[in-house]
Amino acid sequence: MTVLGYLANGLVFSSIIVLGSIGLSLVYSIADFANFAHGDTMTIGAYAALVTFGAIGGLGGAVLGLPYGFFVALVVGIAAAAAVAVGTEKLIYEPLDVDSIGLLITSIGIAFIYRALVQIRFGSDFTRFEVQPLRPIESLVPYGVRVTLHDVAIVGSAVVLVVGLHVLLQYTDLGRKMRAMADNPDLARVSGIRTKRVKLWTWVIGAGLAGAGGVFLGLFNQLAPRMGFNLLLVIFAAVILGGIGSVYGAMAGGFLIGMINQLTPFFSGVVEALPIWPGWLAAALESLISIEYANAIAFVIMVAVLLVRPNGIAGEAAT
Amino acid sequence: MSALSDPKGALEGLTRPEGWVLGVSVAFLLFLLVALLTGALGPTYFLFLVGLAGMYALLSFGLNSQWGFAGLINFSVAAFFGVGAYGSALVTASGSPVGEMLADVPVVSSLLGLPIVGLVVGLAVAFVLAILIGIPTLRLRADYLAIASLGLAEVVRLIVLNERWLTNGSAGIRGIPGFFAGWPVFSTFPETMPGLRLEVIPGSPVLLETAFWQALLNVLLVLAFAGAVYLVLRRAHRSPWGRVLRTIRSDEDLARALGKNTYSFKMQSFVIGSLIMALAGVFYTHLNLYVGPGDLDPITTFYAWVAVILGGSGSNRGALFGGIVIVTIREGTRFLNDVALPVDPAPLRLLLIGVVIVAVMRYRPQGILPPQRELIWPSAVDGGGAPETPDNGVRERKGGGGDE
Repeated sequence: MTVLGYLANGLVFSSIIVLGSIGLSLVYSIADFANFAHGDTMTIGAYAALVTFGAIGGLGGAVLGLPYGFFVALVVGIAAAAAVAVGTEKLIYEPLDVDSIGLLITSIGIAFIYRALVQIRFGSDFTRFEVQPLRPIESLVPYGVRVTLHDVAIVGSAVVLVVGLHVLLQYTDLGRKMRAMADNPDLARVSGIRTKRVKLWTWVIGAGLAGAGGVFLGLFNQLAPRMGFNLLLVIFAAVILGGIGSVYGAMAGGFLIGMINQLTPFFSGVVEALPIWPGWLAAALESLISIEYANAIAFVIMVAVLLVRPNGIAGEAAT
Repeated sequence: MSALSDPKGALEGLTRPEGWVLGVSVAFLLFLLVALLTGALGPTYFLFLVGLAGMYALLSFGLNSQWGFAGLINFSVAAFFGVGAYGSALVTASGSPVGEMLADVPVVSSLLGLPIVGLVVGLAVAFVLAILIGIPTLRLRADYLAIASLGLAEVVRLIVLNERWLTNGSAGIRGIPGFFAGWPVFSTFPETMPGLRLEVIPGSPVLLETAFWQALLNVLLVLAFAGAVYLVLRRAHRSPWGRVLRTIRSDEDLARALGKNTYSFKMQSFVIGSLIMALAGVFYTHLNLYVGPGDLDPITTFYAWVAVILGGSGSNRGALFGGIVIVTIREGTRFLNDVALPVDPAPLRLLLIGVVIVAVMRYRPQGILPPQRELIWPSAVDGGGAPETPDNGVRERKGGGGDE
């Protein structure tokens, strides 16, 4: 595969990571804790879409290789993830009388409950959406780019959602309130913003985007109860790289981490070509920069960023 | 001590949750006893469970000396546990890649296969890993520490999974000897003990054979490990060192203002906790006789966390209690499956763990058995010189009072 091919794959994977990391970052800045259940919220979105798509089928025509029914399923997946998150907030997080560390630990319990329920209902095996697998787009293959129309659909939908969020944040009343709350919750409250309501909307938007990310992840790979949890740390890496609490930072961090993840084979090729001495070091580097360690590389980057620049690329709460 | 000399007074002195825990524990013990005598629960398997509970208690002791003492959110328990387990397994197992590599080295090869060497190696590797993980993460804010340590634990798991030449990859390691292999008396103890046949209830005899004696040895081993760790930790907790750690937990800036090098104290607490976790791993290796990359799964970390927050952070007896609850959840779900439920035990276990976490945080965030009077030597209260009813006052202020 060529560099262009890796970049194209990176773009698709990045779109999914970006959708996941925006929500994590929003909740981090407004509800003020690291939500370990975020990955499993993605899983819920994906499975809700799976059930819907199975029930309604294709519904006639198709866009970008995806039947209309799939887009209905996507909307249902987004709605389901948002509904579950809001329900959890109302039922569990809100009545809690603990600090942000207590909330973090609680969210681990919530993550287990989500995943266990999905696993009880659907089993632990891998499944797929019932869509026709596509061949790579012919005109791009000569450049070494092997992407399908589905991948284009993923990137396109992610762009639409991200632009929509940008418009919401910058040009609507709710967006202004959210930014104010992320900046300084106390000040926001005394200036008359109904912070509870804004917090609920944050959950809706964050979890909804996570649900969309989960659906696309299911389309990109497969569905499994562990799919979201496996991605959680990668998403954390993206959010930390971008700067916790900053939505635009999360977008940038998600983009970078997704790219790095998919470009790992390319990097290992680069390392192979470099004249590194002594030989054992070259061998060690080569074996460490391989596709098996793609996630590990993201985690190491995350720790490095925390050490060097704990506020990330965009800095704290610069929404 | 006080419970022996004055059992009635000790009973009356219990807080209500303590009374509940005691009552439930006694009932649970009776239930187990009945199950044992009727043959519903094999004695060998029962001892295996006791060993497992002891191992989880060790793991929670380790986590307790990080989270409970110093307030460090360490989500890399599984990594230290796995490193202890793998360290010992790689040195002692017959089919270990490391053993094959070192087979021709003169002095070293004669040391391979000795579990005590495995113990030392496991702890040494954990020590190095604790320093390596501690240096970058211990300066971080609490929630960053949680995320970073979980990430680094995943890196360790990925290395164990992928470096086949060193760890045998996803196949794991078999052919591990029991911990007492090669010891003078202990190694042959299970074979030399006679097979016993107890018939408490006519028609369902309970057989005690070699496997039983082997399991008994394992239980003794874990009791020795856990007992030693418990005594050391209790002493450390009350020492000036432990006091500094508690200060760091409640107000790190204050500790720094008092002139303490908080980073160094946190590192010490982190290393000690990690060594205890690795000790649990070493024991697990020789109990289970197989280790695989699955043992480094994050779920092991969260089992230990549930045990600690359930028992009450900072409380060692709470950790013990939490360890027993975890084994009950882990192994009890297997029984549930045998009985009736058409549900796979794995998600059920996950669900229970999740529900326990949420319920504890919702209804009793300080845990069921929070430490009491943790800032004072008990002798200062129990013995002379103290006012008449000091512990009541202290308890009420600690929020663990009798009316709760």
